[in-house]
Amino acid sequence: MAEYDLSKTIIPYLDRHLAFPLLAHLVETAYFPVEQVQTAQYELAKGTNMVDYAVSLFEQLHPDEEIPEEFSGKREKAVSTNERLQQEAQAVLDVIENPDVAQALRQDKNQNLQYLKDNYNLTLEQITALYNFGQFQYTYGNYSGAADYLYHFRVLSTDNDLNTSAHWGKLASDILTGKWDTALEELNTLRDVVDSRSPASLLTASAEPAALTQLHSRTWLVHWSLFVYFNHPQGRTLLLETFMSPTYLNTIQTSCPWILRYITTAAILSRKSSAGGASASSRVRHSIREIVKVIQTEEYQYQDPVTSFLKELYVEFDFEAAQRELTLAERVVGDDFFLGEFREEFLDNARYLISEAYCRIHQRIDIGDLSARLNLSADEGEKWIVNLIRETRMGADAKIDLEKNVIEIHRSPVPVYQTVIEKTRGLAFRTQAMGAGMLQPQPAVPPNQAQPAVVEGAR
Amino acid sequence: MSRFFRQAGDSDSESEESDDELLSSGDEDAAPPKSTAKPAMSRFLRTAGSDSSSESESDSDEDDSDISGEEGGEKKKTRFLRSDSEPEDSDEDVKRVVKSTKDKRVEEIEATGKVMDNALKINDWVAISNEFDKLLRLVQRQSNSAEPIPPFFIRTLTSLETSLNAALTKEKEAKKKMNATNARALNSMKQKVKKTAKEYEKETQQFQNDPEAFEREYAALAQPVEAIAVKVKKVKKAAPSDSEDDVPEDDRFTTVGKGGKAMQFTTDSIFKTLKLVNEARGKKNTDRGEQIRILEKLLEVAVTPYQRIRILLALVSSRFDYNSSVATFMPVDLWLSAQREVDQLISIVATDSSYSVQEATEEYDELLERTPATEKDGVVRVRGSIISFVDRLDDEFTRSLQNIDPHGTEYIDRLKDEKVLYRTISRAQAYYEKTSQPEPLARVVMRRLEHIYSKPDAVVTALESSLASSEIVPSVTLASQAATSSLIHALCVHLYKADNSLLRTRAMLSHIYHHALHNDFYTARDMLLMSHLQESIHSADVATQILYNRTVVQLGLCAFRCGLIKEAQSTLQDIFTTQRVKELLAQGVHQQRYQSQLTPEQEKAERARQLPFHMHINTELLEAAFLVSSMLVEIPLLASIDSEEMKRKAISKPFRRLLDFADRQVFTGPPESTRDHIMQASKALQDGEWEKCRDLIQSIKIWSLMPEAASVKDMLAKRIQEQGLRTYLFTYAPYYTTLSLSLLSRTFSLPLRSVTSMISKMIWNEELSASLDSPTGVVVFHRMEHSRQQQLALVIADKVNALVEQNEKVLDIKLGGTGGWGDRGDGGKGEKRGEQTQERRGRGDRTRGGSGLRGGTRGRGGRFAQGLGNQMSGQSSQRAR
Repeated sequence: MAEYDLSKTIIPYLDRHLAFPLLAHLVETAYFPVEQVQTAQYELAKGTNMVDYAVSLFEQLHPDEEIPEEFSGKREKAVSTNERLQQEAQAVLDVIENPDVAQALRQDKNQNLQYLKDNYNLTLEQITALYNFGQFQYTYGNYSGAADYLYHFRVLSTDNDLNTSAHWGKLASDILTGKWDTALEELNTLRDVVDSRSPASLLTASAEPAALTQLHSRTWLVHWSLFVYFNHPQGRTLLLETFMSPTYLNTIQTSCPWILRYITTAAILSRKSSAGGASASSRVRHSIREIVKVIQTEEYQYQDPVTSFLKELYVEFDFEAAQRELTLAERVVGDDFFLGEFREEFLDNARYLISEAYCRIHQRIDIGDLSARLNLSADEGEKWIVNLIRETRMGADAKIDLEKNVIEIHRSPVPVYQTVIEKTRGLAFRTQAMGAGMLQPQPAVPPNQAQPAVVEGAR
Repeated sequence: MSRFFRQAGDSDSESEESDDELLSSGDEDAAPPKSTAKPAMSRFLRTAGSDSSSESESDSDEDDSDISGEEGGEKKKTRFLRSDSEPEDSDEDVKRVVKSTKDKRVEEIEATGKVMDNALKINDWVAISNEFDKLLRLVQRQSNSAEPIPPFFIRTLTSLETSLNAALTKEKEAKKKMNATNARALNSMKQKVKKTAKEYEKETQQFQNDPEAFEREYAALAQPVEAIAVKVKKVKKAAPSDSEDDVPEDDRFTTVGKGGKAMQFTTDSIFKTLKLVNEARGKKNTDRGEQIRILEKLLEVAVTPYQRIRILLALVSSRFDYNSSVATFMPVDLWLSAQREVDQLISIVATDSSYSVQEATEEYDELLERTPATEKDGVVRVRGSIISFVDRLDDEFTRSLQNIDPHGTEYIDRLKDEKVLYRTISRAQAYYEKTSQPEPLARVVMRRLEHIYSKPDAVVTALESSLASSEIVPSVTLASQAATSSLIHALCVHLYKADNSLLRTRAMLSHIYHHALHNDFYTARDMLLMSHLQESIHSADVATQILYNRTVVQLGLCAFRCGLIKEAQSTLQDIFTTQRVKELLAQGVHQQRYQSQLTPEQEKAERARQLPFHMHINTELLEAAFLVSSMLVEIPLLASIDSEEMKRKAISKPFRRLLDFADRQVFTGPPESTRDHIMQASKALQDGEWEKCRDLIQSIKIWSLMPEAASVKDMLAKRIQEQGLRTYLFTYAPYYTTLSLSLLSRTFSLPLRSVTSMISKMIWNEELSASLDSPTGVVVFHRMEHSRQQQLALVIADKVNALVEQNEKVLDIKLGGTGGWGDRGDGGKGEKRGEQTQERRGRGDRTRGGSGLRGGTRGRGGRFAQGLGNQMSGQSSQRAR
């Protein structure tokens, strides 16, 4: 199963600190020898200012060896730097926390800056101290503190580069402290920043072409957002919403096809909500159909049991293979860092999908057969099927015939008039809209042209 | 007079005595020419040469014992002729022979001179003018046979000049003395003499400075020339080598160039000569062959690298000049020597970094020798362009291939030269890498890439193997890269970084082509789509468009080989609907079927663009691949739709046309052409006879040209089975209520599981209204006949839908915004509107008969399937969000 583990692929796209939880999870799954994982953890910690953590890891790894000298030096240095930075930042903080100042601050950043400079002699460099301190706190693991400072910094600073950097830092801090709501907010603003076409202000070196920089940022964002989306209660729907949008789908197809596993899982998981909730957008509702196409086109680049399950089910209609893949996929999902919690739910939904497809294709179904398809015993299967019939709209069409131990499904064909109604529905509305469009006075056209761009940008 | 010459000759040959002594031992062999030469001789002796011959006779008699200089000289010339042992006799004869040709001319010259002298005395300028013309002609002839200018001529010329000036002054003083014709003649003489004097300025000067030396020199040269004149062919061959031998020992070898100009083949005068040649270049009556010869000789005497570079530059250019007409190609031997010289040039500049050839340099004196020491920064920069030579060399190679009959052995022989050409290109690349000149480097890398991108691995290996022997090697070779694809990759990556967008585009296309050639369909497709070339290719130059077409076609073939039938069909579709496949691939000229006549210039340009035969993509194979994939896509689709309305919407028009045509045939014989095979196979497939279809398709001969033919055939057989099953189900479903799955699996020799899976797919996609009955293992069909009225209702609903869509589109275009009015009409519910349209589209998909087929390839494949057109713009607008 280790070959399906994505940690190695994902970690390069994560921040050093974000990788710790992943490694910790790897210890639990025991795919890899514990020592190796611990070495990795140690190497990771060495590069941060979390000296104590690194030391403890070192002790675990080499119980009978001396702790290297460098750590104590590093520790002292970290403490002194911390104090220095804190003092610098405190000066700014004192000013900001003053209620008068808080009231005087407005939307306009430049004006604020001017105001602070005039009244409190606060310059941009001093404000940058906030950023430095926040960043330093982050390096030694004080994430909530870091988040605070970075927040304040962002409110005041006008430096685009540092602001973006602060965004990323704040997102990482929020993720690591587990404040999913804030993290989600942060994620959305960051996404806007990345998507807005000012790639020069993005993090990476400006020497690279802008489009490439944007692609990089998006790739990173996609990976980071996995933390948020699989922990936030609304996350899966939002994930589909974001990742199925053309820009992100393109990003995933070009630079990180393995994310398909997460989209696929999210799509399967969101089945239930999509069946009932009218609030979900079309993108979510048709996510499975869309994702199947994507899986098909990307098959040559990436496949794992989760994606092949969907492929076998909806492309090949090979129920046996689908069932086989499902057993594998279940384990993969269970062992995945992000998906682990959703194993049961995933299995449940996957069964629904199988039985739905099976029922639509078959007229008479042997219950034993279906149960086998679902990896269930005959009794369980029957219960499951009854529930299925009750829950879905098949109620009227499907009947269980216990004598022969089959389900009979009678699907009356759609009446012609129904089809005609379907086809012509909305025509009147569209014509009306068209009429309204025609009546628009011509001079309104130039602003009108500008408007769609704005609307599109906002979307 | 002649006596004088002989003596002069004597003195010269005396100087050569030292090495002549060696030769004298070979005197024994001299008889045969005696007989042949004699008749001509005797006549001559009687007329003019009596005294000189007798003298030489006595000479030889006298000096017999100690081998006089003259005799030695003669012996040297004639040693090739001699085959028997009578030295004296033969000597005599040969001497006479020699005199006859040379002296005849000399005497004529002298006679003319005498007449002129006489005429001068009586002041008859008309006669002088005539005689002077004659004299010039004679001298011209003399120089044509590569003999030096006789000093007599020079003397006459100078004396004429002085007397002319005297006459002119006299004329001025006493005007009425001369009649009109005479005056005119005098004037024209003045012009002529002026001109001639200018032409022979150099010689004249030499003569005036030291008449003695000049004459001696002439005589020395006259000797070998004499020999050449008479001797049989064999000797002729040897004589030049003789005279060449002379060059190193005394650098004063002089030859008369065209128009009587003396070319000094000495190290000192190289630049002067070079300048003369350069000035003559491009003039109307310049003999190009002669120029090349002069330069070749110059190259032999050139010593310093600077001289060699200069001469090579001129030489290669004049070789390329040799054939000016555009239509034909450079002779092969000329091309080969040009190639060698470019090689030489490159190795000079590559091995010695203190010399460099550049297109733009500072002004320098062409006549001065330059060395690294004399230059400011120690680098001698010479004006010239190696890259243009390489380009030209490559172009000429292509042109020769275009013009040689591709089915002859000559073509094959010519193709073998690609190896040396490739080596030259690679060496040029190495040179530019060393000197780091990015612009020409990119060009030369492109040239190299163009030689290998479309070739199979074996050929590339062969080409690359020639690089090993070269002393300068480019940074990227097959040896260093291990695989051809990584070699191509390295070259392409280099070009991607280049500034030139045309080169980038071409590199990209070549790279894609290479991937496609190696059955790497997905990479090739992704690269093509990501390059967004489809949008800009229309504005590219013709050659790039051709490359683009080739790439797309190769991609289609690749998809076909990989068994991706739908992709192959949609890729090849575009080019086949134009019905100008050959023209678009530059493999044949436009057929003038319609009134559109091409002007000769257009036609010529088009011919020049044609690809050489070995680069062609076999169009018959291409057509076979296209038609077979069309068959596999189209036949099930045809079977699935029942109304006439739908039938008109064909996926592949060319295929449908052929099929209709085949249907109309009353009698069908056994298949002959590839098309016949495919058409009959299509019919068999329609009838559900998949085995017959398979046999027909597999018996097409052209498959043998496809790499991995066997696996392709297997793949086709499998596809035919599957599509046969689908067609069968579509066609015969109305006649059954149930069908046993096992029967189907037996009939189509498919495993039960794949039959089930295929039927399930059809049911799921609502192509087939049926369902499976798992306990009994049958398909149950639910067929519902629509009444006429119901059918019409459906049709009208569709039509109304189309109408509204059309209206919306028109309004969109008119308002110029993309759905701007709609957004406002909905009150900003743009999102919802988008959903609606999407749903609408989704439903449309399902109602359209076979569109489920295509729906599967949506996404990236779909984008491709839609013919690279409007879908792309939609994509980019989405990206803009």
